[in-house]
Amino acid sequence: MASVTGLSNPRAYLLDNRRFVGIMFLLPALVYILLLVGFPFLLAIAFGFSDVTVGNTDLSFVGFRNYEAVWENNIFRQVFGNTVMFTLVSQFFILIFANILAIIFTQEFTGKWFARFIFILPWATPVSLAAIGWLYMFDTKLSPVDYLLLQTGFLGPDGVWGPGRNLLWLARPALSQVSVIFVQVWRMTPLATVILMAGLSSIPTDILDQAEVDGSRFMRTLLQIKLPLILPIMVIALLFSMITMFGDMTVVYLLTRGGPIDYTRILGLYSFQIGIEGGNLAQGAAMALFAFPLLLALAIVMLRVASRAEVR
Amino acid sequence: MGAIFMSLVELRGIKKYFDKVRAVDGVDLEIDEGEFLVILGPSGCGKTTLMRMIAGLENPTAGQVFIGGADVTALPPRKRGVSMVFQSYALYPHMNVFNNIAFPLKAQRREKKFDRRAIRGKVVDTARLLEIDMLLDRRPRQLSGGQRQRVAIARAMVTQPAVILLDEPLSNLDAKLRANARDELKEFQRSSNITAVFVTHDQIEAMGLGDRIVVMSDGKIQQVGTPQLIYDDPANEFVATFLGSPSMNILRADAWSFGFRPENFLPKTLADNPENSRIFDYYVKRVEYLGSDRLVYGYIRGRDSELTLAKVPSNVRVSLDVDSDYEFAVHNSDIKFFDRVSGQRIEHQDLGGVV
Amino acid sequence: MGILVWILQHFWTLLVVGFVALVALRIAWRFRKYGATRAELSYVIRRSPFYLVVLVFCLFAAAPFLIMFMHSFKTDGDLYRRPQPFVYRQEPTLDHIEALFNNTAYLDFIRNSVVVGVAVVIITLILSLPAAYALARLTGRWGERAGILMFLVYLVPPTLLFIPMFRIVVMLGLKDSPWALIVVYPSFTVPFSMWLLQGFFKAVPPELEEAALVDGYNRVEAFLRVVLPLSLPGIVSTIVFTFTLTLHEFIYALVFIADTRQRTLSVGVPTELILGDVYFWQPLLAAALIIAIPVGLAYNLFLDSLVQGFTMGAVKG
Repeated sequence: MASVTGLSNPRAYLLDNRRFVGIMFLLPALVYILLLVGFPFLLAIAFGFSDVTVGNTDLSFVGFRNYEAVWENNIFRQVFGNTVMFTLVSQFFILIFANILAIIFTQEFTGKWFARFIFILPWATPVSLAAIGWLYMFDTKLSPVDYLLLQTGFLGPDGVWGPGRNLLWLARPALSQVSVIFVQVWRMTPLATVILMAGLSSIPTDILDQAEVDGSRFMRTLLQIKLPLILPIMVIALLFSMITMFGDMTVVYLLTRGGPIDYTRILGLYSFQIGIEGGNLAQGAAMALFAFPLLLALAIVMLRVASRAEVR
Repeated sequence: MGAIFMSLVELRGIKKYFDKVRAVDGVDLEIDEGEFLVILGPSGCGKTTLMRMIAGLENPTAGQVFIGGADVTALPPRKRGVSMVFQSYALYPHMNVFNNIAFPLKAQRREKKFDRRAIRGKVVDTARLLEIDMLLDRRPRQLSGGQRQRVAIARAMVTQPAVILLDEPLSNLDAKLRANARDELKEFQRSSNITAVFVTHDQIEAMGLGDRIVVMSDGKIQQVGTPQLIYDDPANEFVATFLGSPSMNILRADAWSFGFRPENFLPKTLADNPENSRIFDYYVKRVEYLGSDRLVYGYIRGRDSELTLAKVPSNVRVSLDVDSDYEFAVHNSDIKFFDRVSGQRIEHQDLGGVV
Repeated sequence: MGILVWILQHFWTLLVVGFVALVALRIAWRFRKYGATRAELSYVIRRSPFYLVVLVFCLFAAAPFLIMFMHSFKTDGDLYRRPQPFVYRQEPTLDHIEALFNNTAYLDFIRNSVVVGVAVVIITLILSLPAAYALARLTGRWGERAGILMFLVYLVPPTLLFIPMFRIVVMLGLKDSPWALIVVYPSFTVPFSMWLLQGFFKAVPPELEEAALVDGYNRVEAFLRVVLPLSLPGIVSTIVFTFTLTLHEFIYALVFIADTRQRTLSVGVPTELILGDVYFWQPLLAAALIIAIPVGLAYNLFLDSLVQGFTMGAVKG
């Protein structure tokens, strides 16, 4: 009967096997990432339950003592509150501005290329370098913003905002918080905008044409068609920028170092100051870990919302 | 044992399930060398899946594929000696026509010891055969639909495969080009004597091209045979109604149904053998003039709910007025009978009490 | 130099006059094309609030960069004595920019950033090109889950990991070495570029790969010879964004490297050019601007491609 000549050695065909090639292609990245993130993550948990410091490297188990110490630490409570407050307030403004900008930049207009270049700059510039610009803008003596306020009569001896020539943006409690939030909104809005633009441009033109034929005007199309359709992607944008903000410390590190007192100290910065600058790795790790359940819950809720709202 | 005649491609008990969907549900088929076999069926009948399993792009859930007598079920596409022309032609957009055609040869370079000269020779020969040798430097996007199709066929032919698989390759051409391309394809296949398997949902293509036609539906083969056999002697009600345009008239009886093709349903005066014909009282509701034919819509008296069509040649001078009754005849041998439950053909039944 | 001086001295005037002139030209061009009718005029007026909004947003976005440009050329006296930030009272000078390149480690920072960036891009491509292809085409449901896992990993912020990472880096003896960053940065660049590349790979028609399989190639060859060349534009934009991610990174770079000469731009510039509370403003601002402009241009150039990759990954994912 049929002579089986073709089936010489099945192993020779491994590179034709979809599953085998799939595993071999995925494995290196998966292993590298899981090692690189998973191992430190477990180590962070271990540190949280130990008394490790920069000088003393052997881990000895101390139970929940670090977490108790962290929780009883009044500064930590304020820091935690700051982090949540900064994140929520800046997200609010980011979403508003990003929506407006995304609608602007999905239209055609003269000078669009240049306008887009300008508005992307805050996101394209490395955060720490952009922060330098703002450090100067908010400088105690040299601030160009203060100079403008002085010229327009808001500052100075007869000014509504005080007799001094400078507002001291980064040295006053409330004002320093406003400044930090302002810089965060400034630098994160472009990313959120780009994600929303992606969503807007993925809406099929048929749907928009149909809406136009049905007599829908700009605002109605926007509110009843575009926004509901990009809701899932909007949630993803929110998730991205919330988690970026929550885990960031660059802006405050450079602008205020957490001051005045603790008004702009946030979680990432504080755990850096305790863990690395103060040398108490265990406490630093425990602090950072406090954020994790919150972030995880946030991620899960948002991914859920995004997948449920998925229309297609 | 002596020489056993072996078909070139043989499928045994092929099944393919995607989760719960039975795309192909038990297919046995033999394809002979040099044959042009057409697999015909409505979309979703499993014909493309079947072809992809011959190519090796899909692994069957059960069953075996033999090519040239060898079990190739476990082999990847490249080891099967088949080639394929895709519906979209799948020309590599980043390569020019020459490199597109040379691509399969380069894969065999080491195995068959092709040098650059041999490859060039083969590519040019194949291109000349398909009359695209002046296009070798062009990119696919600079080609017309017909030219793309030729490049795709050249790429499939250049390695002289045992079987060439064609997945609806004419469906992207416009209607005028299609008839021409069909003729050329058939001519080309006949002259090169290659075995071709051609998948389509277009019955005209199938009738025109196929040495044999496989009619598929619901993942199963309904009938295999020459175009004439399948048209004149359908194995079941599905095949009977799927082929022919307009499709066969079907009228229901209790345990069975019967049908006849509109072109066999003619005014009695035109019937060449009225004694062996069945006469019906036919009420004409509407007439469409199609040029060569007149398409008549109406019903048989007593069968007012079943729309029955007649296709009367235009060149016979019989006037057919709307809203009038005529006597129409069908030759007894043109009436086919089907089981109501299974749909299978059954022998002649007595129509006496039915109409 | 004379032109630069003149430009700087009249910077704001030029900006305003230039803008107004451009707007006037544009309107004039419209009038020439469509006729200076009342309808056309009312169109221009109706359209102006839109442009006003764009202008306001642009000003906010650009403000620090305009200031950076203005102040990079100021003499110390002009900058510090009774500051008038918007005008030049003394001749602009290139001294501070020369000092930035000659007397500081700025060139070292650039070199370190490039070395780290290029190395990380190479590692990232080696790992994420095949992995993204596997997620896009080869693996079914478990691949999808692995993809979501990767996405979640991308969301783990560095502030959570830098303390144990620091320990590991010290243990490996990589502290103060760019290698520390080269090893660690793929932890976020790989998930990011996998997500992007996956979108680009999904845009390649599957028949092209199947054609390659029938034409005599195995899956790896089909990937290398058909999918990769066709995704080249997407891969280039992935390279650009991966590189800039490494350029942006601050926390790991701050924690792992304390040696000035080994630092990268994002940490080196703000830490080395600020001594305690003494800010060397002109070189600081110049150093920031010199990096910001090319990166901004690169972003703008590849933004559409990024958006496309992102949506393909999201819609078909």
